[in-house]
Amino acid sequence: MLNFTLAFLLQQVEDDRFAQMRHAAANPDLSKFLVIGALLFIIGVAGVLTRRNIIVIFMSIELILNAANLNFIAFSRYLRETGSANALAGQIFTVFIIVVAAAEAAIGLGIVIALYRNKETIWVDEIDLLKW
Amino acid sequence: MILSGYEALFFWIFGLAAIFAGLLTVMARNAVHSALFLISSLVSVAALFVLARAEFIAGVQILVYVGGVMVLFLFVIMLVNVGAEERGREEIFNNQRQVTASLVFCLLLVGGVLYAVNRGYSGLQTLHPNPASQDQLHATSATGSSQITKDTERVGGSLYRYASLPFEIASVLLLVAIIGSVMLARTLRQEASADDVAPEVLQEELARDPLLAQLEPKSE
Amino acid sequence: MQKYIWLVPLLPLIGAAINGLLGRKLRFSETLIGGIAVGSVALSFLISVAAVYSYGFGGHAEWPKPYLTSQDGFSFNWIPGGAVRVNQGSEARIQVELQKNLEERLAAMTPEERSQTKGIIVGASDSPRSALLNIEWSYQLDPLSSIFMLIVTGVGLCIFVFATGYMHGEAGFYRFFAYMGLFMFAMLVLVMGSNFVMIFVGWEGVGLCSYLLIGYYFDRQEAANASRKAFITNRIGDFGFALAIFGVIATFGSAQYTDVFNQAKAYPIELLGQWGILSWIALGLFVGACGKSAQLPLHVWLPDAMAGPTPVSALIHAATMVTAGLYMVTRTNVIFQHSQTMLLVVALIGAATAIFAATIGITQNDIKKVLAYSTVSQLGFMFMACGVGAFVIGIFHVMTHAFFKALMFLGAGSVIHGMHHEQDMRRMGGLKRYMPYTYWTFMAGWLAICGIIPFSGFWSKDEILWNAASTTHIPLGWIVWAIGTIAATCTAFYMTRLMAMTFWGTERFLEAPAGGEADEAHAAAYDKGLTQHDALRPSAGDRPRHEPGEHVGPVHEDVEDHLATHGHGGHAHGAHRPHESPPSMWVPLAVLAVLAVIGGFVGIGPAFRTVTRSEHPGGRLNIVTWLNPVIWNPSTREFNAAEGAHEAVVETEHAAPPTEGAEAGASVYGHTGFNLAHSVEAATHSELATEWIFIVISLVVAGIGMLLGGLFYVWRPQLAAIWAQRLRPLYAASYNKYWVDEFYGWAVTRRTMDVARAVYAFDSRIVDGIVNGLAGLSRLFSRIVGGVDKYFVDGIVNTVAAFIMRLMSPLFRAAQTGFTQNYALVMVLGLMAAVVIFFARDIF
Repeated sequence: MLNFTLAFLLQQVEDDRFAQMRHAAANPDLSKFLVIGALLFIIGVAGVLTRRNIIVIFMSIELILNAANLNFIAFSRYLRETGSANALAGQIFTVFIIVVAAAEAAIGLGIVIALYRNKETIWVDEIDLLKW
Repeated sequence: MILSGYEALFFWIFGLAAIFAGLLTVMARNAVHSALFLISSLVSVAALFVLARAEFIAGVQILVYVGGVMVLFLFVIMLVNVGAEERGREEIFNNQRQVTASLVFCLLLVGGVLYAVNRGYSGLQTLHPNPASQDQLHATSATGSSQITKDTERVGGSLYRYASLPFEIASVLLLVAIIGSVMLARTLRQEASADDVAPEVLQEELARDPLLAQLEPKSE
Repeated sequence: MQKYIWLVPLLPLIGAAINGLLGRKLRFSETLIGGIAVGSVALSFLISVAAVYSYGFGGHAEWPKPYLTSQDGFSFNWIPGGAVRVNQGSEARIQVELQKNLEERLAAMTPEERSQTKGIIVGASDSPRSALLNIEWSYQLDPLSSIFMLIVTGVGLCIFVFATGYMHGEAGFYRFFAYMGLFMFAMLVLVMGSNFVMIFVGWEGVGLCSYLLIGYYFDRQEAANASRKAFITNRIGDFGFALAIFGVIATFGSAQYTDVFNQAKAYPIELLGQWGILSWIALGLFVGACGKSAQLPLHVWLPDAMAGPTPVSALIHAATMVTAGLYMVTRTNVIFQHSQTMLLVVALIGAATAIFAATIGITQNDIKKVLAYSTVSQLGFMFMACGVGAFVIGIFHVMTHAFFKALMFLGAGSVIHGMHHEQDMRRMGGLKRYMPYTYWTFMAGWLAICGIIPFSGFWSKDEILWNAASTTHIPLGWIVWAIGTIAATCTAFYMTRLMAMTFWGTERFLEAPAGGEADEAHAAAYDKGLTQHDALRPSAGDRPRHEPGEHVGPVHEDVEDHLATHGHGGHAHGAHRPHESPPSMWVPLAVLAVLAVIGGFVGIGPAFRTVTRSEHPGGRLNIVTWLNPVIWNPSTREFNAAEGAHEAVVETEHAAPPTEGAEAGASVYGHTGFNLAHSVEAATHSELATEWIFIVISLVVAGIGMLLGGLFYVWRPQLAAIWAQRLRPLYAASYNKYWVDEFYGWAVTRRTMDVARAVYAFDSRIVDGIVNGLAGLSRLFSRIVGGVDKYFVDGIVNTVAAFIMRLMSPLFRAAQTGFTQNYALVMVLGLMAAVVIFFARDIF
């Protein structure tokens, strides 16, 4: 995975749009924020789908939420500069997302503990009670 | 909102750090390592928040997310994971098919997202060709160039005035979460002591209802 | 005082309500119940007396006009009927209107014009009429209702007092007086009502109370049967009465007496052979009267009604209820006198009933049955009187009959009580020594009913026979007279027989025990441990509970002798001598005996005018004078005027000079054929002599009857059995009541039940068969459909479903891996798809 990512980045570097990229790199704006957010999101999704350990899955979910937060904040900043009246909504949203994430983490981890007490395992592929 | 100069530099540092840390979170073998990588990812994102002039949110992120949620994660890892890992090194990734499918879809997602961002951004640019630079928006104070914004003040005002209902609901949500998590993590003995059930009665109940015993932690 | 007459029916009703509703709950003592009942009737009586006095004799006497309580405000708008169509009797009405128009036209012309006119044409409209019908609840006090008020409350008072003694010890004491009070209320409503609907209410009410009281001993089969028989027979009469009331309303548009009779008096008279609306109405009324007053053919209930207690027989079946028919006929005498056919019918049926019942009475052995048949016979006499046009005399006979029949019933009750509820006269005899009060009072009644001067019965009965002989209302008056005379003879005979068997002669109860328990059947039942009501052979009469084994009979020396003779086991016995009744029972007897003796003097007939110097002596106290204003006179076409005009009435009755037979019978009613009185008068040339001849004849026949009775039952008792043997068929017919009950049972009852059975068979087989058949068809159909559904449709569904399931099930099962991350993967896929779709427009 790591290799793949690096290879991808390097590809970008070796590409033709060198000057554009350098300018764009020297002056990052909204799109760069969004890209970072999106990448974090995808990494989180990948983590949810691939890992066996429940706790790690939860942490990947946190990553996803975080990516969403970043998105909101970026837009908040952007909208303020373009003069929209609702610019602060993004930051407020973020507050609530953090709240929800905290609550969800608490409950989820409580479920994990109860599940662990019952099944003595943290590997999700061993928890297949709903299998036909 | 074009960042320039040192801001750009820090943007790239923290941005790449966040991505890198996220990647490592997903790929680490040890759960504790995963947690720590996640913490660093979160901190990087907090820094990005600061660059986006959302200082308050950055502070909240550090305090709540990192200081609260991640600590909780670490506690649970200690509770749960240690025993599991003592049983030997096992696979951390799922079966082949699942992983392949996931990677395929994630790559598709990546392509889609990048394409969408680029397309969308050109549209944004036609909409707002000349966004005001950050310098113009901030009144310089008497002492010189101060980049600290009044955002926190404004956020607080909004939160307590226009978003006060969601705020209250969020507090109720947290209350529910507290109660729920306490309930979920109880042991039978804790339940029994809360209900003032005598130990003999408890044994009787256990004998009568075998499922009840599953509430007992098998290992202490 | 008249304006308080509304209290008269109300007080007995209140007394009855208190006794009935609270008597058992609050456990009233017998004194209290009797006190309430007797007190309420006594108060009613006093108010009636005061009201009648002030109506007829007081300072502002309203006699002879009827007094309606609506004049003083007591008028309750009972049934506001609204508009009714008056479409009956239109031909008669047209004639009345034509007559009226003609008279008006004639009155408007001057005498010259009148003499010059040859003919007049008048017209009358026959358009349908309508009237505003309003039925109110108000009382009417007029000469007729006043007499009945006094009779009902006065004789009723005596009987109530008697009943407090007779019913002593009964468990249902309160119930008895409740029903009696209710009866008094209904009877008073009947006689005091101011319209036809009220009389019908009272009519039904007394029928109901008769049912309740006859069936007072409701646990006895024969009492229950008798009460049902009485009610049903009454009901048949009520049907006719109701139709007549409907006819009255449809013809006259009103139900109030004053309205109806004022209209009716102008209608043309329907002679023999003509039959119009008034004859129909009169027919319906008379059917009702037959039912209520036990005339042929609806007489069958009265003898069976003796199963009720004796005071009931006295009050209802002698003095009051059965006379309601008479009241009604007299009240509607306008209508009856308009229909000569109906008058003839009434007279003939009355005469037939009189002789029919009298001949049955001579063979009956139960003392109460004899009196019952005597009542039926005397009622026949009353209807005879009404039929020949002497309505006043009919009412006069009602009055005197009430006195002596109630007296004799109560006397019989006293005898029964003294004999420990023995009713068979064959076991009595010689009671005059044991029960002197009863004996002497009974004798007064006996002499009255036989028609011996100067007792009350003589005056009324003689007048009836005289009017029958001299009537100009109907033809065949002489037949009516002859039948009446023969019936009078029989009456004297069987009443003398009753006296002889009961009071004179040897004490037959000393040889064989008598009394309620003396029956061998009863004794046998008692020994077997059954109650007295389980006896195999039903015994006659009312038999309340009393000491088992109580009877009268030979006095025994000691207990062993008694037990040896009777062998009833060791239970207690009552007295062995008949005893006189307590004062509560013989004092009313004495009062009624006095009335029976002197009660006839209110009707001293015109035959005695040489002595009394007046046709109807006594002024308003004379019953003819008093009642005449209620009677309609066909000659003058108006109601009779009061006082001075009664001479004209008498003259009109004997109007034509009795010289020629051709004119003798001529009157408003046309030529009525042979008239006995006129023939005799033609022979003797003296009216007075004619009348006295008839008086002597009736006294002689009464004497003959009494002598025969004495001969057969006192001087030569063996003759009775010999003649019964010789005239065996006649004796059997009489003893078996001419088998009327059996005939009705066969012809009516059993045929009705056959019809009922046929209808039931039709209903259960055909109608129910159709219904059940349809249901069966439905069931069959549903079975077919069910089969199709179960095998065909379900077969298809099951096959298809099984096929699909076998095909798809492994596929779908594979999706349920239980592996959470698979589900998460699918979620992400879905998310992607959603994003693509959402942004499809922008992307593509």
